[in-house]
Amino acid sequence: MTCTLGEVKNRADFIIYWGGNPAECHPRHFTKYTIMQKGKFVPNRKARTMVLVDIRETPSAKASDIFLQITPGKDFEVITTLRALVKGQRVNLDLVAETGLTIEQLQDLVDRMKKARFGVLFFGMGLSMTRGKHMNSAAVLALAAEMNAFTKFVAMPMRGHGNVTGADVVLRYTTGYPFGINMCRGYPRFNPGEFSTVDLLVRGDNDAALILGADPGATMPQPGIDHLARIPTIVLDPKVTHTSRLSRVHITTAATGISAPGTVYRMDEIPLPLRPPLKSPYPSDEEVIRRIHQAVAKRPGWRPTLNGKAMR
Amino acid sequence: MLRITGGKVFDPANGIDGQVKDICISDGRIVSEFDGGRTIDATGMIVFPGGVDIHTHVAGAALNFARGLTPENQRAAAPFLHSPERRAGIGGPTPTTFATGYLYAGMGYTTVMEAAVPVLSAKHTHEELRDTPIVDKACLLLMANNEIVLDLLESGEIERAKQVVGWLIWAAKTYGIKAVNPGGVAAWKWGEDAKQLFEPVHGYNTLTPANIISGLAGIVDDLGLPHPVHLHCNNLGAPGNVDTTIETMKVLEGRRAHMAHLQFHAYGGDDWHTMRSEAPRLAAYFNSQPNLTADAGAILFGDAVTITADGPWQHLLYQLTGRKWGNIDVENETGCGIVPYTYKGSNLVNAVQWAVGLELLLLIDDPWRLHLTTDHPNGACFWRYPEIIHLLMNADYRKECIKKLPPKALKRITLMDLDREYSLYEIAIITSAGPARAMGMPRKGHLGVGADADITIYNQNPDGVMMFRYPRYVIKGGTVVVEEGDILHRDEGHEFVVRPVFDPKIEDFLRPLFQQVYTMSFDNYPVEAERVHGMQVSELPGTPRQPQSNP
Repeated sequence: MTCTLGEVKNRADFIIYWGGNPAECHPRHFTKYTIMQKGKFVPNRKARTMVLVDIRETPSAKASDIFLQITPGKDFEVITTLRALVKGQRVNLDLVAETGLTIEQLQDLVDRMKKARFGVLFFGMGLSMTRGKHMNSAAVLALAAEMNAFTKFVAMPMRGHGNVTGADVVLRYTTGYPFGINMCRGYPRFNPGEFSTVDLLVRGDNDAALILGADPGATMPQPGIDHLARIPTIVLDPKVTHTSRLSRVHITTAATGISAPGTVYRMDEIPLPLRPPLKSPYPSDEEVIRRIHQAVAKRPGWRPTLNGKAMR
Repeated sequence: MLRITGGKVFDPANGIDGQVKDICISDGRIVSEFDGGRTIDATGMIVFPGGVDIHTHVAGAALNFARGLTPENQRAAAPFLHSPERRAGIGGPTPTTFATGYLYAGMGYTTVMEAAVPVLSAKHTHEELRDTPIVDKACLLLMANNEIVLDLLESGEIERAKQVVGWLIWAAKTYGIKAVNPGGVAAWKWGEDAKQLFEPVHGYNTLTPANIISGLAGIVDDLGLPHPVHLHCNNLGAPGNVDTTIETMKVLEGRRAHMAHLQFHAYGGDDWHTMRSEAPRLAAYFNSQPNLTADAGAILFGDAVTITADGPWQHLLYQLTGRKWGNIDVENETGCGIVPYTYKGSNLVNAVQWAVGLELLLLIDDPWRLHLTTDHPNGACFWRYPEIIHLLMNADYRKECIKKLPPKALKRITLMDLDREYSLYEIAIITSAGPARAMGMPRKGHLGVGADADITIYNQNPDGVMMFRYPRYVIKGGTVVVEEGDILHRDEGHEFVVRPVFDPKIEDFLRPLFQQVYTMSFDNYPVEAERVHGMQVSELPGTPRQPQSNP
């Protein structure tokens, strides 16, 4: 249960950021969409309450009305306790104590959530990429869904890394899955943990890599980086990156949005056109990929043939 | 350059009922005479105009959200293998874009209408339609919960509302407007719904759903749009909602309208335990209203994914089923909800729903005004249409199916008393000629000279499922695209867009308002024409249209 960011701007009077540091990681989030915006139904900052849930006091805490510091790795327990409190069920106080919060703090949070006219929960990688991973995300989404029995409540992941949302969207409509897709059998198969990039690289399953709009050489675990350096790796990037340094081929491309046109998807999956203010001597990513594709298409196929015709 | 000889032609728009007739094609259109080129010998076969789906959900942010929500459906679905002629993909309840094109074409359908597009994400919808091969497409714009339009309707500024609607239709590059749960989705932004036609919408002082419906119907007529207002009534799916549906028809006061997925709006009873079919009452009233068209929205037993802009209903369905729930509210415009659902023959409510869809199809007299749909993927997947066709054409088979329903259900329905059987001529009307006419597409849904050469050729077979699921040939725009069940050629298809007449000065009114309530720049809001693949624009003269009269 989610919404576009304009809904948050116009309606949200109760905003939770969980496991994220928007002040530093999404610096325009406060000013464009949430607490600093004047909305159609929320006249000013005072009309909104902001809660920050994190394991340490980041600069975002200054902007918040309530800061809840929880024990690292206890997100799932806190969310599950909140879900129980929302439904008025009993909770184990010993387990609550382990989370670093008191039952009064949690009950107060639940009361405020229920009193809100329009609540929103933004969750960052501090929730979705720590202990529990997708279980945490599922729990937080379940919490938001269940809150709708009492008031309007939505949740949204705080996505970053350029146009990751756009890649997710396009893969979904062309293959049915958002990431971790294997096309080796001629149709899409999905298995995160097996076919996702990091797992393929760490296991060393792939014998070539084409890297577009990403810098795995800076973020992947070392065995994955070592594997990228071992195999023919091709990088398309406007600038020199960690990955381009270890690649066999680096094709310099125009920077999308600066000197190449395109479409970017916002974290709420709203597409925005990019109009480049500058010209570039380099080709766009799209043009390079198209030319590679044309060249590959000219090569004889791997497909078995019968009487000179491709078998169906 | 193609000639089809010897086939029995069913072309209801031109009154041709099974006569053996040659059809000649040149430059993608049907012509009176042509020499040379390939000849298809269709002796003993049945020739139909290509199918037209007036209400389906095949592209857009909501559907794409559903794909992400249900990877288990994709895993269980038929894979489409990559080949020199075909792109890879996945079938199932929410097929991928390429698979959608192949599945529609493979069933003999050549034109589809994506029935729910918000302006804010229209760019995305067009991107998906660009990757939906072979079929021609058109989009309907969600309008009955657009807060800018609702505010204007409340303050009585109908003329300005008309200019705004005209501007928005062109901005989103769409074909007409859709009204989903008028006022109800706007109320859902505060967790409310609009269940009463004549009570003010939550958050408004005087504006009622009835005002929105009549306001939009009037605007559509004034703008002269080829397709009337496409109406998803309030109270979808709720027991006893037939009263709302009939009241809605009365509110229209003779203006044109298309009633979407009528099956979901034809229930009696007070709750889920007493729910019954009110199809006879609804059909009788509908029969007396020549200004209206409708599509069936029939259900079939099996897995489905319900996707609708009707957010509050989906929240209820989530609470009823306890299954996954996705909800996206779109700022100032609309919302959408997604819940996977399984229709079970043993479930009393589902059994009634199954019967209601068929009852409406059998009780509404004029096949020109009722079109075959399942509100894909809500009632069933579009690729199961042949199963419904078989149920309509074969009363004995239908009665066999009724025997399998729970005995309690039989007291709630009248389907067992209906003996009507559809003829091939009538099937051609409900799958092609009727919807093409209701969509206002003069070159679709018929085989007369000048029509687009979209033709489906079937092997005659008493088993309707086999006959309609596997056409022998499908011709799209004069090119053979399906031959013996194999996709032969990728043709991208066109998108139909209308450009209503509006005063460009309306932008001066919209721009400041927009910057206030939206989160993107006004200049980024309209869809660029280059983004719409193969766009075919109908310029509208801006003269009011009369209600369509049907033969």
